[in-house]
Amino acid sequence: MHPSNARLLAYCDAEAGAEQSRRIAGHLSRCEKCRGRVREIRGEKDELSASAASEAPATPPGLAAVLSAMEAWRKGRAGGLASELKRRVRSEIETYFGSPAILVIERPGARAEELLGRASGMFEVFLGPDAADAVREDVLRGLDWAGPDGEKRP
Amino acid sequence: MIRKIRLDGIESAPVWIVAFLGAYSLVHLLVLYAWNGAGQAFSIQATSGGTSVLSVAGMAAVGLWLCLVVLRTFPAGSPLRSAWLLLALAAAVQAASIILGQFLGSDWLLNPLVWTGHATPALLSQIRHAALMAAGPLRLALLAGAILPALRILREFGFWARPSAADRAIFGVFCLFALCRFGEAGAASLSGESIPLEDWISLAGLPILCVLFLEAMLLRQAVARMGSGLVARGWLALVFGIFLTGAGEAALWVIPHYSLSLPMAGLAALNQLLLASAFALVPACQVAAQRQAVRPVTEAEEDLSTSLPAMVR
Repeated sequence: MHPSNARLLAYCDAEAGAEQSRRIAGHLSRCEKCRGRVREIRGEKDELSASAASEAPATPPGLAAVLSAMEAWRKGRAGGLASELKRRVRSEIETYFGSPAILVIERPGARAEELLGRASGMFEVFLGPDAADAVREDVLRGLDWAGPDGEKRP
Repeated sequence: MIRKIRLDGIESAPVWIVAFLGAYSLVHLLVLYAWNGAGQAFSIQATSGGTSVLSVAGMAAVGLWLCLVVLRTFPAGSPLRSAWLLLALAAAVQAASIILGQFLGSDWLLNPLVWTGHATPALLSQIRHAALMAAGPLRLALLAGAILPALRILREFGFWARPSAADRAIFGVFCLFALCRFGEAGAASLSGESIPLEDWISLAGLPILCVLFLEAMLLRQAVARMGSGLVARGWLALVFGIFLTGAGEAALWVIPHYSLSLPMAGLAALNQLLLASAFALVPACQVAAQRQAVRPVTEAEEDLSTSLPAMVR
């Protein structure tokens, strides 16, 4: 039986329990239709994050307003970058391993850098260090992403 | 940054291998059809042997070369290096067994032993036995050893699943086939019939093939959880090659029990090429994946990949 949309949404938001998540992940590894629904949900979530980032912040008067706007912009920008980074990592995983592998590698609620780290480890093991470096470079190309170690890409 | 890595045609190796196999099989089947239509009036086995040997030898050489290309990309200490090392050794053993069995172990013009006058029947027979030993138990053991680290790593990354009921049924049928072979050999031995050394060598490979079958099923399940990406396709080709090895063994044993009219040498040659192609596809898919990863990115691709919203930029 296919899980309901509400359960899939809870799964994507890491709000389903451990047992429920395990069952849903097991089902997703076998069911293309539900994987498609999960992709749709994640796509919508990503779109929401991006649109939230592009919304003009409220503008209270004075210095507080400027600081507040800068903070909102910074948070939105980081959210947009994280979504883009996740999208790119998922795309690379799909190319080299397949779409079911995304569900195995991406733990529910994992942050972008966690997903990148886990995927990088897998690329290094299965493709070798040179190819893994190249994939990582491709993923980070053009993103002003500061990873956990503070690294930045042009 | 644009990487400047020289491209060659090696990343299209899987396509070439499949295309060659398809063309060869098509011609082979057409010839078989024509032969059957002509009332089996001439010896097809005498005419197709040379091309089969050269095709199989060529495919084995390609497989070995691709394995060595892949092996160079995994430095010492890499988790999958041992798997690729054993796969390269298995490919080398396969190529050596073809050279020994088909070139040095046969009484034909291209055999240097024939030119020098050293090609005694006893020596040729010994060479053929060595080739059988290399192509059978030795190569199968190397393949079984190669899959173990791959399975361990797949498990570490969460790509682990138990064999399905269908997998268990197929494994059971294959074990039954192995038992039948041993039973037949035992019965022949008890009745005082002499069993050729070739048969003993083939029997020695059967238990290893059973283990390999089991590993292949675990690998198939793990790869099914992965998907159908470039890396997964390579491992799937290995699974296919192992299944084909077992199915070929079983078919070549079963068919003569029911039909003596089929050209067994021709079918065996086609099976050998299928096997050599499947095993050559393993490193070919891996090379294709690695080359795609290090492929230089063009400006157009770069623009597409950085299509971030203006506000985010």
